[in-house]
Amino acid sequence: MNRGTMKRGLAHLLTRLYPRRWRERYGEEFEDFLLEGRGDLKAWMDVVRAAVGEHIHPTLQAIEQGGMMSEVRTTSFGTVVRQPSALVPMAMALTALAVVMGHIAIYGAAREADEGATAHIWQLLMVAQLPALLVFGIRWLPKAPRQALGVLALLAVAILAAMAPVFIFHL
Amino acid sequence: MDPGYYSDPPLLVLASLASGPKHGHAMLEDIERLCGTRLGPGALYGAIARLEQQGWIAPLPAKERRHPYRITGDGLRVLRAKLTRLHEFSKAGLKRLEAR
Repeated sequence: MNRGTMKRGLAHLLTRLYPRRWRERYGEEFEDFLLEGRGDLKAWMDVVRAAVGEHIHPTLQAIEQGGMMSEVRTTSFGTVVRQPSALVPMAMALTALAVVMGHIAIYGAAREADEGATAHIWQLLMVAQLPALLVFGIRWLPKAPRQALGVLALLAVAILAAMAPVFIFHL
Repeated sequence: MDPGYYSDPPLLVLASLASGPKHGHAMLEDIERLCGTRLGPGALYGAIARLEQQGWIAPLPAKERRHPYRITGDGLRVLRAKLTRLHEFSKAGLKRLEAR
């Protein structure tokens, strides 16, 4: 493994992994720093991990206010995803998935003539998420659009996961 | 048995800067001397960015492409509070071990 200093092209490439705002403040000095440091795989991996972390939990976010750019503390993805209006629909979707998987595990995947309690519970859980999703969207999309869209994407995956067994097994 | 190493990058950076302003590589070496931890470049600059945003460290003019930082008054207060708490914790932990 190469323990010499990092090559310029690689230092530049690694710095480019960071979000633009971060690079505007630290890009040049970080590249200089990388050039003097170890050029080994461990260093590369550490930078990649940190750059991904900076995309998920940004340190910097510039907000345009009346033509002036001012930097403020940003709302992280972690903060937004922990909001009750995000956690409640997530919990409901996962519960709906657990309910239908439990039903399949106990009774099998045969379609029944009448909708039973499981079906009603599943339907209730899926419908009841909608008001919470609406509240979440109204509250967080204007405030932290990138983070809110990330959370909505995660919620969409949970909802699709809850619907999947119903469609796959034609329940 | 290797007890492992302590790694809380922002705290390590604050402790390093408490003895005077330093640029990144000087911080890395100082931290390694202090506690045996060698931070990666991403971890170090992640800590520097967060500490600067919180106002606990401040940049100094660059010299020969090296960018030093200094700890601020607020940073010193935070460092003292964190280390005091850690000190109390380690005293309590060691006392429990002695009692066994």
